[in-house]
Amino acid sequence: MADHALTAASPLAGYARTIGDVLLTEVGDYNLCSVAAPLGEDEALVDSFDVPRPATGQSSISTDGATRLLGLQPDQILILFRADDPDRAADQVAAAMKTAAYVTDQSDSWVLLALEGADVCPVLERLCMLDLDDAAFPAGAVSRTVMEHLSVIILRERDNRFLLFNPRSSARSFLHAVETAAETVLLQSNEPVSVRHRRGTS
Amino acid sequence: MIIPHPLLGPRDASEFVYLGDASLIDRPDPRAADALQQFHDYLYLRDNPAGEHRELWFHEHGDRSWLVVTRNTLTHEITAVELAKKVALERGRDR
Repeated sequence: MADHALTAASPLAGYARTIGDVLLTEVGDYNLCSVAAPLGEDEALVDSFDVPRPATGQSSISTDGATRLLGLQPDQILILFRADDPDRAADQVAAAMKTAAYVTDQSDSWVLLALEGADVCPVLERLCMLDLDDAAFPAGAVSRTVMEHLSVIILRERDNRFLLFNPRSSARSFLHAVETAAETVLLQSNEPVSVRHRRGTS
Repeated sequence: MIIPHPLLGPRDASEFVYLGDASLIDRPDPRAADALQQFHDYLYLRDNPAGEHRELWFHEHGDRSWLVVTRNTLTHEITAVELAKKVALERGRDR
């Protein structure tokens, strides 16, 4: 094989911007693999990893914090980690498992956008239909849902930090939607109190 | 309309895709002597109740599960939601 020297290009070229109280950053340097159980062997996934398998709607994290399992649907999990060799991420996952399953490297199919800051919930309220209250969607909760007509995975890493996974092909459209929501929150927080009262958003 | 998902809790109907009557789970045996007639009925004959209806919904923008939703077609009240996989197994299907 020819010896190519190619540089990976991230979907948003390392985007980072602060809008009001929210910091938006593209997350790079990660690998994402899906692991699907063979038909009728749903239980096989349970004991396959040293990290406990999360229930649907939850995630679990390794003690060193480097590996996170996302429980998005029955019979399948997503694994977010950093592979030793990014070109062999699926091999690394398959080798770490105790049972056989279908492992697919999805690292280059997604863009990961981190939202962090005091106003992160007001921004997400303008995009996301899910109830993001601490009780309904605590740290570690994960779900696939619709934002701006796009299928998006939302993960709450910490109280004021969310990760949004969006298909790479619509990365810029989705970023535009998030920026617009954040700018709206900033504008409304800068309005005089009397205006906010009139709009009922105080 | 909000569909109370058995695993994920209340979700907006726009996350789902509607397929049709839950009787589609009962696919006829293609080896039966009258398979042609059975498949005709399976494919084309539907009840159209004004009231309680059992129907299949797919959570496409979600956990990709199929659900059997019992919905009142007059009021849109949803009285039961089950995983279609569970319903199919209970009806003797192998998956």
